[in-house]
Amino acid sequence: MRLKELVAKEWEEVFKIRLVLFSSLFMPLLLAGLAAYLVWQGRNLPQEAVGAQVALFNTALMYFMVLPVMIPVTIAVYSIVGEKEQGTLEPLLATPITDWELFMGKALAATLPALALTWGVFGLFLMAVWAMLGTLPGAILSPPWLLSLFLLSPLLALFGVLVTMLVSSRTTDPRAAYQFSGLAVVPALIPLIVYSARQAAVNLFLVCLEGGLLVLVNVAAFILVVRLFRREEILTRWK
Amino acid sequence: MIKTQGLTRKFGNITAVENLSLEVREGEIVALLGPNGAGKTTTVRMLAALLAPTRGQAEVAGFDVVREPQAVRQHVGVLTETPGLYRRLSVWRNLEFFAHLYGVRDAAPRIERYLRLLGLWERKGDPVGTLSKGMRQKLALARALLHEPAVLLLDEPTSGLDPESARSVREFILELAGERRAVLLCTHNLPEAERLCDRIALLRTKLIALGNPEELKARLFGRRIQVRLANPDPGLPAALNLPFVKEAHLDGGVLTVALDDPERETPPLVRRLVELGAAVQRVTEEERTLEDVYLELVEGDNAA
Repeated sequence: MRLKELVAKEWEEVFKIRLVLFSSLFMPLLLAGLAAYLVWQGRNLPQEAVGAQVALFNTALMYFMVLPVMIPVTIAVYSIVGEKEQGTLEPLLATPITDWELFMGKALAATLPALALTWGVFGLFLMAVWAMLGTLPGAILSPPWLLSLFLLSPLLALFGVLVTMLVSSRTTDPRAAYQFSGLAVVPALIPLIVYSARQAAVNLFLVCLEGGLLVLVNVAAFILVVRLFRREEILTRWK
Repeated sequence: MIKTQGLTRKFGNITAVENLSLEVREGEIVALLGPNGAGKTTTVRMLAALLAPTRGQAEVAGFDVVREPQAVRQHVGVLTETPGLYRRLSVWRNLEFFAHLYGVRDAAPRIERYLRLLGLWERKGDPVGTLSKGMRQKLALARALLHEPAVLLLDEPTSGLDPESARSVREFILELAGERRAVLLCTHNLPEAERLCDRIALLRTKLIALGNPEELKARLFGRRIQVRLANPDPGLPAALNLPFVKEAHLDGGVLTVALDDPERETPPLVRRLVELGAAVQRVTEEERTLEDVYLELVEGDNAA
């Protein structure tokens, strides 16, 4: 009940911020449109340009991997730094809410919209590709693509949220928190960037490897963040 | 309602609060006074189960702050130093959100009651960011009361308010104590503390004084009578020669006399003055303020 209330409040508040709204609605549509364009371009390439086609398809997939990182980072930054700016953390902590509920409320409020939007615009992307090509290329419904979307996306979103929580607890400037958090999550996208540069198609090995690494990193970040989300820590150490 | 025993909190090597033993009873308002850094906010945070004490015990509304922190928070209303409200959300939504966190069922009637009581009903749909500072402070007070707590911890409740708003908040606090709630009030506003509070606790890491304002004044300064004379004679203090006069001195046309029991001792004093040829124009008891008490105690503690 309290968790649901906290998540609802988070959304009500952060989506009143234009930048968050822009990042959460306009950017996913833009990236999905670009991804559809890349796939369309890839299909129009001559048969011998296989490498270029693979690079275009990888880039299109990468756009869908950027979204689950970018959206929760934006939401979490404004959610945590916003509490600090407005001095609402102490009254919030004075309620019977538990530390765990507070942490989960912040994490879910940032992660759920990111996943919903990523998967939602992926659906729009599929429709756009089908409308442009009259068919769906096998690559974009292949296991590596689907696994990336349904396994890597949640892991990336969680990683983005955890990193943002760590960074936001140490700053009162949302822009600084946004920049640091954004930079910190870039390494999570490196394997995809490397594959695109090598014009090698994303495969199950890569997805599973990246998934495994993200699980490890998320566990470590989770342990650190849970330590941060203690009342005493928040009141006395958060800047 | 609030009972602390040897309550101590350290931050590393720094002791913020040391060995605080204090009791606030039902229906009582106690002011926690002290200079900046005296440990007032740390005390409030410990009593609200936000910070754990390093040593000692505290029981609030019958619950132990260390063993039952959730229950303590459920029964305590806290007004923090800054209102701490969500500026983008409406007045109503702010209260509704906190009411749900406190588990208040059917919050709407309570929200309406407090908004009307505090004169905020007409602004219920407005974002908090559009409210004046005074309105925000009142809204924060309403938030602290939504779950009908038995204990209220109020940090500077009238800080930054215009005189009219400050008065309405003070009257409201008095009503709250009348509803049998225990109120611990942190303030730098000494006249306010004197007007509102049954007892004063002066904190400077340690508790340096506790009592009602009149007791503290009498304890520190004794009671003094001031006699305005038309013909002050420098030899008069020495000539008084009365056993109950503890001290007397003349300053301009005013003779100040320290007495234990002015109600009983003033008539013979005046008779004696008249016998000595003094032309008495006016007799009043010297007024000491809580500020005098505060400064005396804090400066005394500095010297010590």
